[in-house]
Amino acid sequence: MTVDSPTAGSRPYHRFNVSDYDFWNLDFRARDATFHQLRAEPGLSWQPPRESAFGYDEPGYWAVTRHEDIKHVSQNSELFTSAMGVAVDPTPMEIQRISTFFLTMDPPEHARYRRLISSAFTPKQVRLIESQIKVNAAAVVDDLLEALTGGDEINFISECAAKLPMRTVSDMIGNDSSEREKLSHAADALFSSSDDETVSFEDRAGYMMAQLDILTGSGIRLAQLRREEPREDLMTNIVNAEVDGQRLTDGDIGAFMVLLAAAGNDTTKQTTTHTLKALYDNPSQLQWLREDFDNRIDIAVEEFVRWSTPVIAFARHAKVDTEVAGTQIKAGEKLVLFYCSANRDEDVFDRPHQLDLSRSPNHHFGFGGGGVHFCLGSQLAKMQLRHLFHQLVTRLPDVEVGELSHVNNNMFHVAKFLPIQLA
Amino acid sequence: LIVHIEIDEDLCIGAGICESIAPDVFQVQEEKATLLLSTEITADNRDLMTQAVSRCPAAALRIEE
Repeated sequence: MTVDSPTAGSRPYHRFNVSDYDFWNLDFRARDATFHQLRAEPGLSWQPPRESAFGYDEPGYWAVTRHEDIKHVSQNSELFTSAMGVAVDPTPMEIQRISTFFLTMDPPEHARYRRLISSAFTPKQVRLIESQIKVNAAAVVDDLLEALTGGDEINFISECAAKLPMRTVSDMIGNDSSEREKLSHAADALFSSSDDETVSFEDRAGYMMAQLDILTGSGIRLAQLRREEPREDLMTNIVNAEVDGQRLTDGDIGAFMVLLAAAGNDTTKQTTTHTLKALYDNPSQLQWLREDFDNRIDIAVEEFVRWSTPVIAFARHAKVDTEVAGTQIKAGEKLVLFYCSANRDEDVFDRPHQLDLSRSPNHHFGFGGGGVHFCLGSQLAKMQLRHLFHQLVTRLPDVEVGELSHVNNNMFHVAKFLPIQLA
Repeated sequence: LIVHIEIDEDLCIGAGICESIAPDVFQVQEEKATLLLSTEITADNRDLMTQAVSRCPAAALRIEE
């Protein structure tokens, strides 16, 4: 298409359509050819709404693709609200609220809830669980090596990448291993639900609700256990915490569990998978890291996150009439922040499509564009990546890493299968 | 030469990025804004402070000469 197509309203949709289902079948690199063109255009582009599995209509949204503009929207929550939803696809607020906890809140309410759990994620707290993460990372790679010895091709994601983050999150919240598997499975299903291969469009809403029920139900049950018998874990802190003199509701606790299973688990898993693939596609980079791992891993981890961009996009809505990059935005209109595009913005990153583990500075938006919603778990994520890749880089024998297949998903960079076998 | 660093406690979200850059200067606290362990920074640490300021996700840090 070379001309703007008309809409029901007066505003035409942009000729580069990033809402189309088939567009998201392309891989990350191929999609950025379009984002690259959008970044070069003046202002923001008006995009058609995505088809809603929940039968919920919206007129469209503004695609925010430049690093600078995403930063502006992210860091001005008085102009751009999260309380009207953060999902890219039209999704009723009731559904968003049960799945996002404080992601769909604005200051000052947001800060009151975030503070309840932020203390578990400070650098100091994360250091306290470092030795446990180290032991778990070694155990995960022990199992991977064992699985590889048969000589067969195995899936790196299920045999390695999925394991450490779920274990870490479960240890923190206080879940046992049987519950861990169940949560892991439901979170997987939730993140794959955007793909026609997982579930048909007609059945999608029901399928998503079923996964959300498993996750929220698990949180509510664990909360009940901890009310009866407190322990030294995050769930015990949560059930004892008060906001404005009130205990959290079961709804809050359920939403918190979804957030942990999704944001706290799936993102690190995706980053691990995309990074392993990138390292084996770029042997000189892997070699560079291996030569002086301890002194290079901190800077390299930032590039792991930029490269992988586990969260592709989140939405905001304008609270008032405002302007972004010269484009007039009306109060109530939706904006989608494409972090995937910011992380390949040629105005910020030199040779953005090259994996460069020594990249510095590396102001990527892999943890969001800054502001009050900046990723709470960034320290924890980076610590897990440091220890897991220490194990992988120093212990993995000669292996062949095959082609990565991905899930059609316009919010999360979800890998489906990454074959690996002994060379 | 000494630079002075200030933190806006209402803006601080305790993301802990400053602490990871300069643990001698910043300490994230439970349920409160990040604590400044020292406010007077010698000029040789200026680069670190500039980094901490520019990377603060809540824009809560400021340097005064």
